Amino acid sequence: MADTDYVIETRALTRRYGDKLALDTLDLAIAAGHIHAIVGANGAGKSTLFRILLGFLPPSSGSARILGRDSQRLTPSDRGRIGFVNEEHTLPSWMRVSAVTAMQRHQYPRWNQAAFDEVIGHYHVLPQQKVGQLSRGERAGFNLALTLAQGPELLVLDEPTLGLDVVAKRAFLESLMYSSAAESCTVVYCSHQMEEIERVADNLIILERGRLAHMSAPDEFCGRVTHWIADMPFAGPPPASVPGLLEVQRIDGLHHYLVLDQDEGFAGFLRGAGARTVQSMPVSLDRAVNGFLAKNHAMPVAA
Amino acid sequence: MPRTRGLMLQIATGDARPISKQIVDGVRMKIATAELVPGDQLPSVRGLAQQLTINPNTVAKAYAELTAEGWLESRQGLGLFVATPRQRLSDGERDRRMDEAISAFVHEVAALDYPPERALSRLDRALQVLSRKTA
Repeated sequence: MADTDYVIETRALTRRYGDKLALDTLDLAIAAGHIHAIVGANGAGKSTLFRILLGFLPPSSGSARILGRDSQRLTPSDRGRIGFVNEEHTLPSWMRVSAVTAMQRHQYPRWNQAAFDEVIGHYHVLPQQKVGQLSRGERAGFNLALTLAQGPELLVLDEPTLGLDVVAKRAFLESLMYSSAAESCTVVYCSHQMEEIERVADNLIILERGRLAHMSAPDEFCGRVTHWIADMPFAGPPPASVPGLLEVQRIDGLHHYLVLDQDEGFAGFLRGAGARTVQSMPVSLDRAVNGFLAKNHAMPVAA
Repeated sequence: MPRTRGLMLQIATGDARPISKQIVDGVRMKIATAELVPGDQLPSVRGLAQQLTINPNTVAKAYAELTAEGWLESRQGLGLFVATPRQRLSDGERDRRMDEAISAFVHEVAALDYPPERALSRLDRALQVLSRKTA
């Protein structure tokens, strides 16, 4: 069954806000299992995608399925199979930790107390504390504990570690990667923090202007991008003629090119364009993603 | 008995080498410098992942590569161990033993008063067994 092989499957998914397309005929299929990271520039459509998938927002056209169900027709039991953690870690601030926990336990039939205890153990959260008194990191930990305890098959995290200090962040990632509750679920994770993605993600999904721009293991994506430094006597070739160009900079009189999918043949191109010396090197994931996303940004002419 | 040892390994994010490659390089270096010796047990996949705060699949990938290259061997149900290298001798020791073997051979041939060309061609034929083996 094709439907159940994917935890998320969209076909020609489009969402329009007035004249702007937030999602543009997006075809995305995320396989069950593993940790998938979604990255994209601001406005790439990540939040809109999550809202549609969770049934909070209807698509303008196209379809979105989550755990094999139409995202616009989710039943309470379908929702119980999906855990969602947003960046604000929105929880009722006036309630005590114990009361929130009791409410969630009551709401989810598959409630796993051991999973809750395992995750919350990383944080100094007391049952009698009010949610509003928790620090941001404690609220994040509490939120993750609640979500994992519901026993989700799919965990959707929207910038979950934004604003957390280093200790809270590490505790959060540990719960995500090593807790027994997280082991059996597929994680879809949206973040801008490449350092974290490098540690966490099995699969990297890049959204750009509402479309799928790339999907592979992070290493493979890194391997597509190379950094070349050439000593060009003059202005260098016109950017439009440079194959696979992501970014060009002139630093200390040398031309720096960040290019996509270029092999040794690129050295020949640079020499043909008048380069006296040519060097190349691999780049980090952070640099590769950054260059990839910068590709469509306006670039000032090198001075 | 196998010895279990902590693996003193550092990884860095933001490096051009993927984390799994950093682990492969780090373990190889430790074996090359005898910081890890044959029979030493490596941390579990989950254990090393936790130590480095990385995805366990990344460690599994590095271990698979090291095993495929013969640096590590897995023992059923026990875990991963530093493998006994196929070439156990140092380069110097290898050369010394080769000199010894050649010298012994030459002395014998000299005693037989055998023409060197014929000795060489027979030796060449005999050594073809080895080239078949290593091919």
